[in-house]
This record gives sequence, structure tokens and C-alpha cells, in this order.
Amino acid sequence: MNILKITALVGLAFGLAACESATGALGPDKTVDRGIDAKHLSQLEAGIWVDPNGCDHWIIDDGVEGYLSARLDKYGKPVCSGIAPPTQTAGDFKKGSTNLIGDPI
Amino acid sequence: MVAAVALQGTAVDAQTKSQQGKDKGQYIPTIWVDPDGCEHWVMDDGVEGYMTPHTNRQGIPVCRRGNVCGVMQSDQFFATNSAHISKHGQQRLNEFFRKTAATSYIITGHTDSRASDAYNMRLSLNRANSVAKVAQRSGARIADVRGYGERQPAASNGSASGMAKNRRVEIICIR
Repeated sequence: MNILKITALVGLAFGLAACESATGALGPDKTVDRGIDAKHLSQLEAGIWVDPNGCDHWIIDDGVEGYLSARLDKYGKPVCSGIAPPTQTAGDFKKGSTNLIGDPI
Repeated sequence: MVAAVALQGTAVDAQTKSQQGKDKGQYIPTIWVDPDGCEHWVMDDGVEGYMTPHTNRQGIPVCRRGNVCGVMQSDQFFATNSAHISKHGQQRLNEFFRKTAATSYIITGHTDSRASDAYNMRLSLNRANSVAKVAQRSGARIADVRGYGERQPAASNGSASGMAKNRRVEIICIR
């Protein structure tokens, strides 16, 4: 029990730098952010990035992790809404503790 | 059972040196639901994050709700075999687009299964284009215009009421 606690503390100490699990080895469960922005991944907040063809993608800057995924309509076609010019972004998607770890952009 | 054991074997083999044996090559994702209501596979691998749309094997996204914000029953807006919209119909559409005020719209035309597939593809596209023209004149932004003919039925073509349901122009609102 004590060893477990110590391991947890050491894990926390290095957690800031590595953003790795405070509970030790990483298993196949990739469904949780265990770092400084700890949360279940279903809670991510996205903005829109418009690709060079003018089509929308969901973009999320979660501090250390970045996510990008296509925005599709119900027929599976890309959504090209024109919400912003190509290569521009829309919406507030930089929700993570980016500043804390010195991400310059 | 045999298949399951064989699959597990492959999963262990899939482990690469760089993964240091922690996850045994297995990446279990969770679901993130985008603001449109559609699902994405998402994984956090320590410092890296991964995401990709959750589609079925036909490439159709898995969504918890739809973004179809308007369905025009063709019988109310078009004469048989025609893509012309009456003055009254145009006024109704104008009002719809002004009230909805979405970022942009995807307009898709559909028919019932009578007449040939090629004819229905053409008619449904012409009707969708007629709607898009009215939308653009009212100041709306159109992201795409498509005709699906009889290929995306909303109801069975086996009954008269089902066929009437299938004769439609759907308006998808992009917020």
C-alpha cells in the first residue's frame, strides 16, 4: 500500500513533464487524458479548421495533445461550409493548459 | 472461439519495440461527439492524440442526431416532372432561410422510384438547384447542391404515402 502511494507521488511529480499516467504503465485504454488536463476524452471542445480545399475539420488543441478529424454530412461527404477562408480557423479550440507547458502557439 | 484466439495472437504480434510492451499493441478508443452530433474515434496515447470519424463500413458517419433542418415535400412545391417553384413557394422558402440564418446549407433532391434512375437523378438535381437559387437570392450561403434521385429513400416505395414522403428536397443546416 505504501509503495503504491509513493509510486503515485513520484508519478505525479513527473506527470507535468511527461503528461503520462500517474498510476504507472500505460495500458491499451486510450480513452482518458491522464495528464495536467485530465479528463475523459468525450469532453473535448472543438473549433473548425478549413483545409486548402475549403472543407471543414474539427480541430482541438488540448494542451499537449492535438486532434483533427473530418466534418462529414449525413451522406459521408465533406462539409465545406465557407465559415472561414482556406487554412483559417474559426471558434475557440485552444482549451488546454497550453501556456503552462510553454507551447509557443 | 478459434477466431478470437487467433485475433489475440495478432494483437500481441502487433506490439512494436517503440511501444515498450505497455499496451501490447492494442489501442482502445473512446467516442467524441462533435457539435453536429456525429461520433469520432478518439485516443490519448500519453503525449499524442488521435482522432478519426466514426463511420460505418459504407462510409456513412454514425450520428446521434441529424442536421436536416427542413424537408420540402415536393408535392407542395413542384408540379409533376417539373423543377419550377411557384411565387408562393419561393416566398415560403425565403422566409425559411431568413429565419434559420445558418452558416450555410446543403440542398439534396430526392424522388420516388417511378421512372428511370437516370431521369430521377436529373429531376432531383434540377429541383435541388431551384431551391438553392431561391436560397442564394435570399442571401443564404450554399455549401453544396446534390440530386440523389431514388437512391436514398426516406420511406418504402411500396405505398402511395411512402412514395409521397420520398418526393422531397432536404435542407441540411450547417451551423
